[in-house]
Amino acid sequence: MTDSQPVRELPSKLVQLLRMLWRDKLACIAAAFLLLVICCALFGPMMLEDLATKQNLRGRNAPPFDFSKNWTFWLGGDALGRPLLARIIVAAGNTMMVAAGAVFCSLLIGTTLGMIAGYTSKLTSQIILRLADVIMSFPSLLLAVIVLYMLPASVGNLVIVLAITRIPVYLRTARAEVLEIRERMFVQAARVMGASTPRIIFRHILPLVFPTLITIATLDFAFVMLAESSLSFLGIGIQPPEITWGLMVAQGRSYLTSAWWLSFWPGLAIIFTTLSLNLLSNWMRVALDPQQRWRLEMSTQND
Amino acid sequence: MQKMFTLVLGSVFAAVTMSSAMAADSAVTIVLSEELDIVDPCEASRSNVGRVVLQNIAETITELNPAEGLKPRLADSWEDKGNGTWQFKLHPGVKFSDGTDFTAEDVAHSLKRIKSEALTCEIGAKFFGGMDISSTIVDDLTIDITADPAQPILPLLLSTVTIMPAESPMDSYVDTPIGTGPYIFDEYARGQHIKLSANGDYWGDKPAVDAATYVFRSDSAVRAAMVAAGEADIAPNIALQDAVDKGMDYSYPNSETVYLRLDHNTAPLNDIRVRKALNHAVDREAFVGTILADGTLLATGMTPPSTIGYNHSLKPYTYDPEQAKALLGEAEADGVPVDTEITLIGRTNNFGNVLETMEALLAMFQDAGFNMNLKMVEVAEWLEHYSKPFAEDRGPEIVEAQHDNANGDPVFSMFFKYASEGLQAGVQDTTLDDMIAASTALTGDDRKASWEETFKYIHEDLVADVMLFHMVGFSRVNSRLDFTPSIRTNSELQLSQIGFK
Amino acid sequence: MSLTLFAESPSIRTFLGKRAIASAISLVGLVILVFFLSRLTGDPTALYLPVDASQESREQFREIHGLNDPLPVQFARYMGDLLRLDFGMSIRRAEPALDSVLRGFKWTLQLALITMSLVTVMAIVVGSLAAFRVGGVFDRIATFCSLIAASAPDFWIAIVAIVVFSVNLGWVPTSGTGTVWHWILPVSVLFIRPFGLILQVVRGSMITALSSAYVKTARAKGVLDRPIIFVHALRNALLPVITVIGDQAAGLLNGAVIVETIFGFPGVGKVMIDAILQRDFAVVLAAVMVTAFAIFLMNLLIDILYAVLDPRIRY
Repeated sequence: MTDSQPVRELPSKLVQLLRMLWRDKLACIAAAFLLLVICCALFGPMMLEDLATKQNLRGRNAPPFDFSKNWTFWLGGDALGRPLLARIIVAAGNTMMVAAGAVFCSLLIGTTLGMIAGYTSKLTSQIILRLADVIMSFPSLLLAVIVLYMLPASVGNLVIVLAITRIPVYLRTARAEVLEIRERMFVQAARVMGASTPRIIFRHILPLVFPTLITIATLDFAFVMLAESSLSFLGIGIQPPEITWGLMVAQGRSYLTSAWWLSFWPGLAIIFTTLSLNLLSNWMRVALDPQQRWRLEMSTQND
Repeated sequence: MQKMFTLVLGSVFAAVTMSSAMAADSAVTIVLSEELDIVDPCEASRSNVGRVVLQNIAETITELNPAEGLKPRLADSWEDKGNGTWQFKLHPGVKFSDGTDFTAEDVAHSLKRIKSEALTCEIGAKFFGGMDISSTIVDDLTIDITADPAQPILPLLLSTVTIMPAESPMDSYVDTPIGTGPYIFDEYARGQHIKLSANGDYWGDKPAVDAATYVFRSDSAVRAAMVAAGEADIAPNIALQDAVDKGMDYSYPNSETVYLRLDHNTAPLNDIRVRKALNHAVDREAFVGTILADGTLLATGMTPPSTIGYNHSLKPYTYDPEQAKALLGEAEADGVPVDTEITLIGRTNNFGNVLETMEALLAMFQDAGFNMNLKMVEVAEWLEHYSKPFAEDRGPEIVEAQHDNANGDPVFSMFFKYASEGLQAGVQDTTLDDMIAASTALTGDDRKASWEETFKYIHEDLVADVMLFHMVGFSRVNSRLDFTPSIRTNSELQLSQIGFK
Repeated sequence: MSLTLFAESPSIRTFLGKRAIASAISLVGLVILVFFLSRLTGDPTALYLPVDASQESREQFREIHGLNDPLPVQFARYMGDLLRLDFGMSIRRAEPALDSVLRGFKWTLQLALITMSLVTVMAIVVGSLAAFRVGGVFDRIATFCSLIAASAPDFWIAIVAIVVFSVNLGWVPTSGTGTVWHWILPVSVLFIRPFGLILQVVRGSMITALSSAYVKTARAKGVLDRPIIFVHALRNALLPVITVIGDQAAGLLNGAVIVETIFGFPGVGKVMIDAILQRDFAVVLAAVMVTAFAIFLMNLLIDILYAVLDPRIRY
């Protein structure tokens, strides 16, 4: 998400990109929302930690929209009388760390292995594919129980569990795309002209593989947040007093019939975040694809 | 593609049978929280097995009635012959559901079977550990049973032993249990249901319910929904937040006691002031009617208040964070390392709202000045903290536990939780060891008084643990049934006690 | 038709042979990994005996279930039994582990087949239609709905669905098995997430395929017939789609634990999570092997599909 390119060297390009973003209003809103989530994740835990853990058993399950109370209670209170809004803001930190960590690690490892598998000797390719098979059929719940039994249920260890289980999808997708692309004329041509393997991979193949992988990665962001929530549902995920949105949904689901807001708001946070990521990724696919960029560069008839 | 799809769908339609026509009016469906892995009656002390098998399929020779005390069931009478031997006169004319007669030989075999080495039956391990049980058949309907060391409450202990036919194998579990009870075990479709039907030749009164189906759903909201939707008649165990319908939901003391086990072998928990401070730090009243159900009782002892010898004069420690801080300060002045980080260990899914309870406890301890962190673990890991041998390099640990004693006497709890040799005891105290041993050997009023003394010593002199609550359970019962759950509903569910309105 | 031609070519036969060997190797690797890793989660004895059980009965229990021997000995014994197709006994259920697993797998397989067939058909149809007019009303609605669907926790949807459709409306049974009606809620809940995901991938790769050179060429040449363009583009777009379908199907074959738990559906996922939490190692291993075998078969199918769809790919 953060742009590592030095900004000053490419002012025109950045401005061009922002202009393209402005053209797609939905993507614009999405970007703004994600920025807000990132701010919450960065500063929320520092500023609201105490407020979010302050319990009041006798004022539990306070209903939402009671604007006479402190703003942190506007979304209601949880089962221990803690302000939901403050908790959602604080939980953004862990949630983003788990999801981003897991998605980034699996994307990086999976893509690397997949490209190697698609572009090297048969033996290496076979070994990598067998590895993917083993991971794919290794039950993720067993992995979670093993890791969390031996190591504490911290954010870092949860990232390990989730990242490992998500590697195969990137690996297989990257390999499949590479298999297809390397047969294309221009890649063959580059090879004939003596381009080195790394050059072919990074200059010719990666840019074509990337859009698909990014689509999957953004969707996986949702998947990982939900998987984390599922682990909490089964009681083997992250453990209180740490909080994530997924844990809040899992804890709140037993109150679905009596206090819906406990699991609804954090669920909504998950949905909005993934929705924004997806809208942004759809925009990015178009903006990054030279063949489709025209849709954003011209003022299109779709608007 | 289209064709293949039709084929797949068709095969599924064919695979499922259209047989869910409404059952007859005198049949009931009961939704349990946990599937039965084993249906052998020698495991009936496990609550999921007991609810199906105990007294429905397999009966016991004596029976504990929560209101009236110990009652005859398969035995008509018994007397103490001295030296640990009791003689039981069995009811004549009783038959097993396979047609064979019930005799003293079946009792003798069942007693041997629960202690069989090849089976490690739960009843044997839980109630008859550390003693030898032998029997002498006097005649077909008379049997002498001897316990070594002598057990003054042997007839009560025998209310846990399910009687199976003498032909039952000693080295493997049965998968179609046979007993003398009012119901016959018809079918177990694993993963789906268990079906029982009335035993036409039952020796006792004919029950109103003539067939029962048990199904299994692990989510409380679903169990409650099934009764609400009319798909099930009884959900014996639902969560507090699902018990919202006054017309269908019953609360009952479920014989479970929740407490925090303190490890007296590690500093700072070895200091009595620190243990007192822990007790004063908890606002027990705040839990009742909020996270835990209305009607939850504050505990001062390990067993439910209905147990013989429970000391009703004891008072729970008051909520007084200031005093807790003062006690901690005193201990610190004497060089007790009160700043050491203490681990509070909770068991996931132990009871409804356990997570909220543990989070609230943690906050209360932290408010009182304790340096504490919370660790929620699943059952296998929890057991390693709860039961001996404890890990060598453990720091100070406080383990949350829920203990169930529906059997009416503290003997089923005290040794294991408080004697120096007890597997879950955090305390080691020779005076307490002697008190437990003495109480165990006594009978009648002496026994009652001795247990009361023991409870007082644990609570006031040793401040052994942080006692919390006697819990309340919720059952949802279809309004067409005449059935009120009781303290025994946690371990058994006698179909013969269910009537129709 | 192309599939039959394909199976007869000698190269595919050697390919199948190689894959069988490769799969067997992965399976052995998997067994070794699961055997030793699952043993790291502790001794099951305490779980199976009452907390008050004596030290002697604990010893007895370990002896009966062979837990006293050193790990390598246990492993050698297990592999020996496995060669005779003996998967060991379930401690918890006191029956052959394979029986427990196959009973559950039968249900899971049906559930996965029905769900994935519905998902595949629906996602491809809706996704392609959305891609045909990017940014159009249909595209926006489809994208929006599928994204929301894919982002809601399934246990949440499941419980809300039971409360709404079974208790309040009384349309379908809450849970369990028995009639066709019992399948509606579990299949619907399972359908949602893979549908949202696959729809997005179909849409994405269709957009790419439709803007690729040869489709443009076709359009430029005046091929106005939509179906032809559609079929051409779809054929090309399907490669990444199949990968994601495979991934999702594998997830379902591994057992839809949450859905099975909530709806009381006796599938392999429930069997597996129970066995993991109860340290019933024989059942865990049997479940892993059965599902792994199914997943290997499916991956093989996917590789063959790749080759069918894209004749340039050779193995």
